[in-house]
Amino acid sequence: MKVTYNWLKEFVDFDLSPEDLAHLLTMLGLEVDSIEYIGADLDDVIVALVEERAQHPNADKLSLCRINNGKEILSVVCGAQNFKSGDKVALAQVGSTLPGDFKIKRSKIRGEESCGMLCSEKELGLADESAGIMVLSEDLQLGKPLFDALGIKDVVFEIGLTPNRADCLSVIGVAREIAAKLGKKVRYASHQISETGVDVNSIASVEIIDPDLCPRYTARYVSGCKIAPSPQWLVNRLKALGQRSINNVVDITNYVLMEYGHPLHAFNFRELKDGKIVVKRASAEEKFITLDGQERELNPTDLTIRDGERAVALAGIMGGENSEIADDTSEILLESAYFNPSAVRLTSKRLGIHTESSHRFERGTDFNIVTTVLDRAASLIAELAGGVVAKGIIDVFPCHIPEKRIKLRISRVNAIIGISLDEAEVTSIFTNLEFSVIKTAPGELEVSVPSFRVDIEREIDLVEEVARLYGFENIPTTMPVVEVFSDRIPHYQFLERAARGHLSSTGFNEVINFSFASNHDIQRLRLCDTDRRNAAVALLNPLVDEHAVMRTTLLPGLLQTASRNFSLRNLNLRLFEMRRVYLSQIGQELPDEPLHIAGLMSGLRYTEAWNQTKEMVDFYDIKGVVESVISLFRLSDLSYSTDRTEPYYHPGKSALIFCKDRQIGSLGEIHPDVQENFEIEKPVYYFELDFASLVELSTGTPVVKSPSRFPDTYRDIAMLMSLETTSAAVIDCIKGIQSDKIKSVDIFDLYTGDKIPKGEKSLAVRVRYGSLEKTLTDEEVGKLHQKIVNSLISELNIKTR
Amino acid sequence: MRDQLLNLQNQALADLAGITGEDELQSLRVRFLGKKGELTSIMKGIGALTAEERPLIGQVVNSVRDCLEAAFESASTLLRDTIKSQKLNNEKVDVTLPGRSLPSGTKHPVSLVIEEISDIFAGLGFIVAEGPEIELDYYNFEALNFPKDHPARDMQDTFFVQNNLLLRTHTSPVQIRTMLKQKPPVRIIAPGTVYRCDYDATHSPMFHQIEGLMVDKGVTFGDLKGILTIFTNQMFGSDIGVRLRPSFFPFTEPSAEVDIACVICRGKGCRVCKNTGWLEILGAGMVDPEVFRHVDYDSENYSGFAFGMGIERVAMLKYGISDMRLLFENDVRFLSQF
Repeated sequence: MKVTYNWLKEFVDFDLSPEDLAHLLTMLGLEVDSIEYIGADLDDVIVALVEERAQHPNADKLSLCRINNGKEILSVVCGAQNFKSGDKVALAQVGSTLPGDFKIKRSKIRGEESCGMLCSEKELGLADESAGIMVLSEDLQLGKPLFDALGIKDVVFEIGLTPNRADCLSVIGVAREIAAKLGKKVRYASHQISETGVDVNSIASVEIIDPDLCPRYTARYVSGCKIAPSPQWLVNRLKALGQRSINNVVDITNYVLMEYGHPLHAFNFRELKDGKIVVKRASAEEKFITLDGQERELNPTDLTIRDGERAVALAGIMGGENSEIADDTSEILLESAYFNPSAVRLTSKRLGIHTESSHRFERGTDFNIVTTVLDRAASLIAELAGGVVAKGIIDVFPCHIPEKRIKLRISRVNAIIGISLDEAEVTSIFTNLEFSVIKTAPGELEVSVPSFRVDIEREIDLVEEVARLYGFENIPTTMPVVEVFSDRIPHYQFLERAARGHLSSTGFNEVINFSFASNHDIQRLRLCDTDRRNAAVALLNPLVDEHAVMRTTLLPGLLQTASRNFSLRNLNLRLFEMRRVYLSQIGQELPDEPLHIAGLMSGLRYTEAWNQTKEMVDFYDIKGVVESVISLFRLSDLSYSTDRTEPYYHPGKSALIFCKDRQIGSLGEIHPDVQENFEIEKPVYYFELDFASLVELSTGTPVVKSPSRFPDTYRDIAMLMSLETTSAAVIDCIKGIQSDKIKSVDIFDLYTGDKIPKGEKSLAVRVRYGSLEKTLTDEEVGKLHQKIVNSLISELNIKTR
Repeated sequence: MRDQLLNLQNQALADLAGITGEDELQSLRVRFLGKKGELTSIMKGIGALTAEERPLIGQVVNSVRDCLEAAFESASTLLRDTIKSQKLNNEKVDVTLPGRSLPSGTKHPVSLVIEEISDIFAGLGFIVAEGPEIELDYYNFEALNFPKDHPARDMQDTFFVQNNLLLRTHTSPVQIRTMLKQKPPVRIIAPGTVYRCDYDATHSPMFHQIEGLMVDKGVTFGDLKGILTIFTNQMFGSDIGVRLRPSFFPFTEPSAEVDIACVICRGKGCRVCKNTGWLEILGAGMVDPEVFRHVDYDSENYSGFAFGMGIERVAMLKYGISDMRLLFENDVRFLSQF
């Protein structure tokens, strides 16, 4: 919303620079987003006098003029024809810069010197089109900067208004705020209208069928209007606020809208059948062409303004093409009404029409101001379009709207804000805001709210007004004084941070992908039809197809991130993401949003460097990461199952991860088809874990066992076995001996190849023996070790080497 | 004989001075001090001396031997030191070559800022609360005093899942969920992901907010100023200016926008702050009685404040990030810098 400095001054006196005024408004809650200085760059364009206009000696279409700039006589070449000697014109002097960064320089045109340029309205940014140069009124002072002389030098403030402040959607509304803050009074104009001719009621009539949507409708009739371009001052004012001039009558309704914030509509009265206005809901599927030429389909929630036969306007939103002001319109019916905000909003939203008018009506307008603006507009039409205003106003106001009176406790004001004002101070704030106040009891006021303040309904609204006008900057800064209470950070939050910290300190970069996915992404994972992850939560209004649903796994996002990084030549990736996935839950109010931890690795195992080997990561790298993450949660009974696996993994290099028979996640090399689907050309390793499961299964604080005071002993076993025998089987077999003297079993070598029989592998394990009571003897260890070897031979059919 | 001995001593010292290796040292030692060495062979002549001469020469022999033994000892030490230092010199490495790197990754800047803000408020007794991202209209709007068909809803472009189900547009529904679960006093901080259908250089359809809520007896707007001043000072520096100015949110009243002095130009005016000297970083206000009504809190006995800020905004200011989209492109060259 825009207002100008000079326009505000018409309504309130203030002695503030534009910058200080902007600050004052911002600190009142009317945030000034930008300040534009109109004409500030055009001080070098001045009022000049054409002393003589003569034919250019070398060009038929040019004239050579002697121009008086108030100080000296200059020679200027001009191509326009619409002026004569003795005219006052706009001279852009040498050195000035016109809109569009057009610099005026001394030049020679067809051999004649030209010191400046005579300007048109268009060249000065005053009009979209102009024929010839600007010929100025004779009384303008010679040599004065043009914009000063014309009185259009101004400052425009763009205000980012919050939706509650409907009352400030006008120059007067903003002036009221300034007055309230400065303790001044707003100069409200009274509009004198010379009413002539017949009574309006004998010409037109208004009937409200649906008063719930239109509590008040007023109208005036003006005849004898001449539709013409608006005078320059009116054009300039509208232009300053970003409005295009249409014609005098339409411009006047817009001007009054900007001034008072109340929308008006002018009907071409001759097009109103039976001279009648009927305010009534539209019928179902009614077709109506708005004045932008669009056909709209209406329904009974839409309020229409109708004549004797048909709709002529969409109430409070836009007029109809059928009753639009035309160039030959002479009789006008001016409408000023109060429409129900919700109804206007509903129609405007449904039809997608947002106008200056709907913007105001849907936020709430002042039902008491309707006749004032009607008078204002009618008097301007009489003045600028030669209209004759009929006697009287049609004012249909079937429903009484009561004045809002609110009880305000001074103690409440002080308790919420943290200040200590007394009744008098609070009263003066409200008086300045044009609220009336009566004291009803000690410390208690009854505040009557003016009808323009549609946002004020409750005591707390009044408290806010006090805080606002008192000034947030004047409220003392304090610290709350409260009882101590303590809630510990929940364990899962601690673990979430631990996991994030762990992964980021082991070389992984945390990524954050959008939570959206597309159905296509999910299909590209090769999930089977019955997989729950196919049934993603879909958005009704996605921005793009790629963001049509909420992701059900972190995989597509990470694969896309990997692919993008590969294309940027970031070839060695360790990425992790700890974010939610979204799973539909039949019969539940809300989808499930479990937090998942996923990681992705690809490229070199070690940072590429002079002193590192250049090995590529493999399955066991990702498994190592998974094991280290899981160890943060202290899970026991962990197992890796290859019986079935996720379809997006390499079937031979992947596993589902179980803890106590509950699946907690999966890991593996991404299936080559999936890789290809995401345009990835090299192996990628991935894991995804369900954080909630990890938390639930975690065993919390460990119970520490004291280490033995005696040294442990190691024995190794090197063995040959079938390729099918897993290392887990070997370890389980050894641990199956169940001796408290076996402290740990570690696999320290694995070999498959030419040096051993086909179909077999060589595995070497190191068993660590120890006792709390003593140093074990060779004999004791040897006996136990032999038992292990025997067990391996009998259970797993190994051969020792 | 005395002269013989002194010559021997001089000869030996001279030869010692010229040695370059352990072998040479050994052979010199044998030559002069060995059992069949030159000193021994001179001493063989003692028997031919007179009784008076013998003790005198004996003394000379002893002094020459002591002298030579000490000389050999120190020559030996010197030689060892020289060899050791030569060896060490030969083992010199190029210390400017990079070390063998340990793996090092990074947290996402959004996570870093969430952790930092949560920690600041943890120090003030606020605990972290969470809520669903796919949320009911009731919690996201209705209970926060956004009536249906109210222009205030236009402030937030909403992604819908169904008529009453949407992607939360702010973290404020966590306020409602928390207050429905517990009685006052309440002190929570709620970081989370939020969504609005808007996408350009300054808007992302997904972004993050952090919400704060304090409800207790006698909490005032002045207290809100106090808590936010502490926060901004800890987050942006103890000398950073803070200002609150009136604004509008349906769920707070009075409502405020909170600006900090521009962290780039320190209030002088620059491109980042659009020459105002101020940067808007959060919205805040006193909890609206209508919100308390929805959660069945007695607004006559309890008051409170709430505030919310955009994490990306804070991260961009803190790290000097110019384009919000960088945060979600996940280019490793960007991520590795945190």
